[in-house]
Amino acid sequence: MNNTSANILDIKNIEVRYDNVILALHDVSLKVPKGKVVALLGANGAGKSTTLKAVSTMLASERGKVTNGSIEYDGNAIDKQTPSQMVGLGMVQVLEGRRCFGHLTVEENIISGAYSRKLSKGDINQELEKIYTYFIRLKERRKSQAAFTSGGEQQMIAVARAMMAKPKMLLLDEPTMGLAPQLVAEIFNIVKELNTKEGVSILLAEQNTNVALKNSDYGYIIETGRVMLDGTAESLLNDDKVKELYLGISKKGRKNFRDVLKEESLTKKRSN
Amino acid sequence: MVEELLFFMEVLVGGLLAGTMYSLVALGFVLIFKASATFNFSQGAMVFFSVLAFCGFMQDFNIPFVPAFILAALLMVVVGLCTERLVLRPLMNASEDTVLMATIGLGYVLEGLAQAAWGVEVRRLDLGIGDFPVPWIADNLKLFISALDITAGLVAAIMIIGLFLLFKYTKIGLGLRAVADDPGAASSIGIPLKHIMLLVWSAAGVVALVAGCMWGARAGVQFALVDLALKALPVLIIGGFSSIPGAIIGGLIIGAVEKVLEVYIGPFFGGAIEGWAPYVLAIFFLLYRPEGLFGEKIIRRV
Repeated sequence: MNNTSANILDIKNIEVRYDNVILALHDVSLKVPKGKVVALLGANGAGKSTTLKAVSTMLASERGKVTNGSIEYDGNAIDKQTPSQMVGLGMVQVLEGRRCFGHLTVEENIISGAYSRKLSKGDINQELEKIYTYFIRLKERRKSQAAFTSGGEQQMIAVARAMMAKPKMLLLDEPTMGLAPQLVAEIFNIVKELNTKEGVSILLAEQNTNVALKNSDYGYIIETGRVMLDGTAESLLNDDKVKELYLGISKKGRKNFRDVLKEESLTKKRSN
Repeated sequence: MVEELLFFMEVLVGGLLAGTMYSLVALGFVLIFKASATFNFSQGAMVFFSVLAFCGFMQDFNIPFVPAFILAALLMVVVGLCTERLVLRPLMNASEDTVLMATIGLGYVLEGLAQAAWGVEVRRLDLGIGDFPVPWIADNLKLFISALDITAGLVAAIMIIGLFLLFKYTKIGLGLRAVADDPGAASSIGIPLKHIMLLVWSAAGVVALVAGCMWGARAGVQFALVDLALKALPVLIIGGFSSIPGAIIGGLIIGAVEKVLEVYIGPFFGGAIEGWAPYVLAIFFLLYRPEGLFGEKIIRRV
């Protein structure tokens, strides 16, 4: 199929169930334009990881299933693909919690990302050198066992490993979880660089709303498996509701988006 | 004095070489443990199945030695293929305990199939290598060491070197180690779990065939091979479940210790302590060094 659309990823109204019973996503639609960074924001359990796994087809390994709606990647529908086929198509997910191969060295971890590609030893070394230009820290630690590196380094290993598969699109699941602010900035700088220099489109799930929006082009906010709000990163950063709920600039102790929207409609009715 | 020392040497060397036979069996366990973190209870049945099939091809169909061996190895690849398709894939997301139980079941199926296909009587397997002392060594070094033991030692050495190179320096080896560490992460970067599993089970099947040939030549090809393979358990506890060198060293230690203890301490217990002495040793390891001598340390970041 020929892809003429400007979106590399187009999710339309998907519903996801685990074990055929538990409804994790009610209705999520989102688009990732080619070459852009899109942030998927929300609290724990909102459905961020589930959305990413639906895209990378990793849901099946957790007994999850897309029961409604459609996902289109690079012009083709995703349904029966396996995760390794998706990697072959240029879509790689960096799982939540980094998930490095602890007993392998840093360099072996990164090289393992090229498993799906047919490369000679020389090609691999060339790619490796290119990757190290983005992750300078990792080059110094290339011979260490991955389990003994710091959390920030492990996150870099996970992203570097994914980059070795030469992705057109990266799915990053909470890349800054549990990292110090300085490292968060460092990770985002690298992500931004990969986006601009390598042209990789990025869908980013984050709880760290502020930093994520500052480094994205567009944002979606999801809550209990539904998209509540979306817009350009700038507009979301300046949105009063977002400020109040996710950026901690609050006037009253509201709980979630639904409450805010309810209240809004009430005030509208009253003013009518 | 010299004679006593010579006798001790003979016991020790005999034990070490016999130990390599345990190592060969343990290797099959390590392969599967490395890739799926499961103790494969059907490994003993695979040893029995493979070598019985090998004997069957030679004795019932009059196929010469080498083609029969290749056929038996191919058969083990088919067994690996079926195991992946019929047992492992449906249990892809099941817990390790479930897979462990499944391997017990698989063991019974293989035992049954082997006996249904090739009969229940004990078969003799002649590798053309005698299980008697090599005259040259007996004359020059005054040690009585079996030719079969020496062959087993050589075969084990070759297989270990081969597997070590495979794991350390090939792409498939890297994939195997990655899957062993974190199958989920491995599949997220495009390492196809199906192929890795298929490969590991086939390799374990061929290793089982080689081990089966050695044991079959010594003790006859019979059902007892299944239980004998469980001797690999203390070997693995001592050497470490995930280490190929560990399987070898563990086998050597078990072989040497059980023979030496049998000869020097056995009489105080009325003999036949080699049946249980290895397990006592294993208990000490479990208490003081649970990952074994060479097992991968359980690394946990705090």
